[in-house]
Amino acid sequence: MSFLWLITHNVWSKKARSVLTAIAIAIGVMAVVALGIVTHSVRATAAGVLEVGKADFTVAQRNVSDILESALTEQQLARVRAVPGVASAVGVLLDTERLDAQHPLVVQIGIAPQDLTPFGVRMVAGRPFGATAAGEMLVGSHLAQDLDVQLGQRINLAGGPKTVVGIFATGNVFGDSAVMFPLVPFQAFERQPGGLSLFFVKTDHGASIATVEHRVEQSSPVLAAIRNLTEFGQADRNYQLITAVDRAATIVAIAIGAIIVANTMLLSLVERYREFGILRAVGWSRRRVVALVLGEALTISLGGAAAGVGLAYVLTRILARLPDLAGILEPTYTAGVFGRALITAAAVAFLGALYPATRAARLAPLEALRRE
Amino acid sequence: MSDRPAPAVEAVDVHKSFDRGLVRALDGLTLTVAAGEYVALSGPSGCGKSTFLHLLAALDRPESGTLRVHGHDLTALDDANRYRREQIGLVFQLHNLLPHLSALDNVEIAMLGTRRSRHQQRDRALELLTAVDLGGLAQRRPPELSGGERQRVALARALANHPRLLLADEPTGSLDSASVQLVLDLLGQLRDREHVTILVVTHDPVVAAAADRTIHLSDGHVAGEDTTEPLRERDSTSRSVA
Repeated sequence: MSFLWLITHNVWSKKARSVLTAIAIAIGVMAVVALGIVTHSVRATAAGVLEVGKADFTVAQRNVSDILESALTEQQLARVRAVPGVASAVGVLLDTERLDAQHPLVVQIGIAPQDLTPFGVRMVAGRPFGATAAGEMLVGSHLAQDLDVQLGQRINLAGGPKTVVGIFATGNVFGDSAVMFPLVPFQAFERQPGGLSLFFVKTDHGASIATVEHRVEQSSPVLAAIRNLTEFGQADRNYQLITAVDRAATIVAIAIGAIIVANTMLLSLVERYREFGILRAVGWSRRRVVALVLGEALTISLGGAAAGVGLAYVLTRILARLPDLAGILEPTYTAGVFGRALITAAAVAFLGALYPATRAARLAPLEALRRE
Repeated sequence: MSDRPAPAVEAVDVHKSFDRGLVRALDGLTLTVAAGEYVALSGPSGCGKSTFLHLLAALDRPESGTLRVHGHDLTALDDANRYRREQIGLVFQLHNLLPHLSALDNVEIAMLGTRRSRHQQRDRALELLTAVDLGGLAQRRPPELSGGERQRVALARALANHPRLLLADEPTGSLDSASVQLVLDLLGQLRDREHVTILVVTHDPVVAAAADRTIHLSDGHVAGEDTTEPLRERDSTSRSVA
């Protein structure tokens, strides 16, 4: 007989209780993992736009709730271009629009035709639009393939039908799922003459990106430089909110899980006074008794965690297929997500079983043996 | 000089009370048990028999006096768990087996945490179950065994770690007469086989008669003792008579 076998056997010998506790933990872990996946996916989707421009960093309006709602101006763009160390800066105006049920959130990018190449755009078919051609548009290669778009086809977006004059590729899935319009007519449609959303900045060769970022932010208090997902998380208030909800839910799930485990283990403790007395009487140390109780709680919690991860996977796949979330939520399953499940399960087991385990170990063998 | 072996148990003026001194369980108990002896502790309820057994098992501590088991001073024991695991085998009136484990696992559980490999633990458990004539029932759980069989499993568990002292508290108290005789026979056989000193607490004259010596307790101290003819001599005598 091994110690691990005994732990597993004890858990299995109380099947109903163990399974019910594991289900409760699975629900908590599912919530934590699903929220983690959603948060990560939302961040990856929202931050995808930053990766389109192949820039060293992106500039957005500081303290904006949604980075796509960032409101900048061409005057600010000119000032950024003048910052020492900035090699080039492309300004774009962004918006989103529903195309159809499968494409509820198509990103629209208003950009000057001369900025297409610096922005990392490569024409794969057709030609670029004219600077003031209000009826022309470009379609990203991914979206074009998805919609089976042909050159010359008309698509109803940005206030009316537009003719597809070219299909572009950026090498970025998010960018290749977008559409582009000439900047000036798009600003007019958005009723934002001279307005921009983001600047995509490239630095001089050899310049310190962090230093240039700092200079840009110093040039205007309303500008926030974003280089990576972490900085995006700090700049986007919606993302901050989602992250806060995610953390709060994790804490609540761990607390509830720990209470459930504590309840189960305490009930079990009362039933097993005599068993612990016997174990102590045959020479088991307090430490071994603690290890037994913690091990049983951990086994139940890990079982719950495994089920919770499976449920979270199913849940996020279902969420991703919901019409309102299609195209917005693209679940990504990283090692970190499964790490969260493990940490949650371990925390739940440890917090929930610590007190019962300590009580079991403190039982005087003689007193425990006298109990029925 | 006596040619008796060195004492397995040495108690000198041992005191133990409960309820803040209102109940004096042991009141100057002094006795000696030689290594390899089979001794019965007898006396009326409340005379301190079980209390003395609990002190010997390091399940409780004496208030004063000297108490040694094979040289271990029980008033200053560093690691009572280790002492119980390595020096003592315990058998209770109620078998105190774990109901969800098989007979084999119940014996093995006493060996968890010892230096024996899993294979050695299993071999030892099977060896002991065979010795108590339960080799064929090793996979049965306690609810599937009779009272006598359970007590024999408990006996096997108590001997798992080769204890030098076997303590049994009313081991036949809940058994029918046939099972009592079986357990008594086993105790005698196991004493020889495992070279263990046996101390049995009992009310039952039949159990006391099976021991080498019976120590009578009264009011927490020794009131007298009877020396019984050793079992082997009795057996050979009865055989020769027959």
